Amino acid sequence: MALDPIFSDAIIFASLLALLSIGLTLTYLTTRVPNFAHASFATIGVYIALVASRVWESTPYIAIPIAFVISGIVAVALYTFILKPLIRKGASQAIQMVATLAFDLIIIAILNIFADYIINTYQVTSREFTLRSYDVEFMGLPLIVFAAPITIAILAITLHIMLRKTKFGIAMRAATENSDLSGIVGINVKLIFRISWFLGGGIAGIAGALMSLWFQGDPNLGPLLIPSVFAASIVGGFFSIYGAIAGGILVGLTEVLGTRFLAGEFGSWLIAYRPLIPLVFIVVTLLLAPRGLAGINWSRLRRHGSRI
Amino acid sequence: MVLESEIVFIVDLLAIFAIYLIVNLSLNMEFGYAGIPNFGKVLAVGAGAFVAAAIPGRIFANIAGIEGDYIENNLAIVSEINIWLVDNTGIGFIVFFLTLGIAAAVGGGLGLLTAYPAIRLRGDYLAISLLAFGESIRIIGNNFTPLVGGTLGVQVPDPLSFLPGELRFPIATIGLILIAIVVYVFSEKMIRSPLGRMLRAVRDNEVAAESLGKNTTQIRIKIIMVSAALAAIAGALYAFYVGGTIAIAYDRASWTFWPFLMILIGGLANNKGVLIGTLLFVTLRKFIIFFKDSFQEYVPFDVVWLDFLLLGIILLAVLLYRPQGIFIEKPTPTITLNGKKEQPGLKKIFNFFFK
Repeated sequence: MALDPIFSDAIIFASLLALLSIGLTLTYLTTRVPNFAHASFATIGVYIALVASRVWESTPYIAIPIAFVISGIVAVALYTFILKPLIRKGASQAIQMVATLAFDLIIIAILNIFADYIINTYQVTSREFTLRSYDVEFMGLPLIVFAAPITIAILAITLHIMLRKTKFGIAMRAATENSDLSGIVGINVKLIFRISWFLGGGIAGIAGALMSLWFQGDPNLGPLLIPSVFAASIVGGFFSIYGAIAGGILVGLTEVLGTRFLAGEFGSWLIAYRPLIPLVFIVVTLLLAPRGLAGINWSRLRRHGSRI
Repeated sequence: MVLESEIVFIVDLLAIFAIYLIVNLSLNMEFGYAGIPNFGKVLAVGAGAFVAAAIPGRIFANIAGIEGDYIENNLAIVSEINIWLVDNTGIGFIVFFLTLGIAAAVGGGLGLLTAYPAIRLRGDYLAISLLAFGESIRIIGNNFTPLVGGTLGVQVPDPLSFLPGELRFPIATIGLILIAIVVYVFSEKMIRSPLGRMLRAVRDNEVAAESLGKNTTQIRIKIIMVSAALAAIAGALYAFYVGGTIAIAYDRASWTFWPFLMILIGGLANNKGVLIGTLLFVTLRKFIIFFKDSFQEYVPFDVVWLDFLLLGIILLAVLLYRPQGIFIEKPTPTITLNGKKEQPGLKKIFNFFFK
């Protein structure tokens, strides 16, 4: 099956943004602080995939569960040791955001140290590396092209069932709506928040492990990715997991395919300006529908659509 | 006369201190007094530096009649300009101050442009969009070559080139410190003015301020613009001081994260704290860089990352254990309407900006 690599690029990037955006939404729902370190949780996943394939000499896919656990633990550490004490002390949201920025810096520093360590110890390229050659072929395409969207589908269905059908999910939704009130009825809010952060960070780790199979890995990926992730979350509305998926797919596809289309129309110099596309999304969303896709009242829009 | 290495060290430290002080005072206006978390500080600083890189050189080349493509033959043209400037010091200074003015205007305009979409929304939306805009400055600078020469960077003409080599940096540092003092006085005066009072009112309780008839959106846009203009001046001064601009130097850590760190260590909403925080940080950083090489052989990785790690941990520790910083915010006495007489010069600047 022949497929222009740009479509694989688009599919994988959109899946990646959707995954990161789901995780960001899960953590945002609990503490209401945009986590600027979120994209670096994915970079941790990238490095676990590097270790799995180059140091342990096995398939990078084995990194997915490990990345889920380790990134999840890092996210829980951020929540438990930094954000929760800050919230208890009554720190403003802005201070909490600064704290996540500081945490991001620490993660990036540790990843860079780790990268240097890998080069020196195993003589393995650990900056601007790619693991594409470690992927297996499936129907003439790299497996990752199928694995990424399938992961989103599985996660979306699991999260949907978890949040809507299980007792835990209902408790979680209650705790994010009104943590004081749900504490009164006997829900362990602290545990729920911790699990939310674990899932959020873990999903970002999965995204990172998957991403390493297609895109270049580098310790400083986080700051490069974070505008796109926030654009996806803002487009999605920041409060809804379905919105996050839709936003991620929309921003991801537009970034890759839109740049390609515009470059075809106006010349290839445009490709370098691709990182500005998330900005356009942020500005347009904030001006037109500040509550994002999930905030638009679709059924009302349908009913009154003809009149508008 | 050859300067001792200690003096060079101190001169450079003071220059960087003065530049960061301007950036931090402007950030303190926004974040400390108005409560706007500007995570895109690098945008204004970078814009100022880009103005200094793109505009004065071309003006000089035009006046002096130097031919050639400004970006492609940058090194040759700028060195010709610097020789020409030795005899034309007056024009040099006029263009220098003109550049600062343009930088302030561009910075203020960008401040308006970037704050406008999100200013009416919650604080985190504003922070996110400012951060995303801040990332864009480097991308544009790296790829749009006519601006700052893309990845290669450009040289910035030196209005002080008439000075002998060893005096150039000390004199530039004195100039920078004088400008920083002016900004400090301006910031202190502003905080004591009715505008400063209103800023704190909006920060502490937006609804209450609104109910008293204050236009909170307008005041926030205004303060973002003023502070972006100041930061852009700092960026332009930095470009002039170092004598060059390269887009890659305007990253989030250096011009957004470090300023936040400095004002949080020193104490939010307290200009004295900003002063001390900046001095502490710049000195610490300078010593780290100074002793880096002697430390390198003991660790199996680049010491730069240890520096990042250390500073990140310091900031988190400050936030967790001493959130108010070294100096806490004190009630600010306001300037009375018909009490002490102010210097007319400052008043003029005041009226120009706020009335």
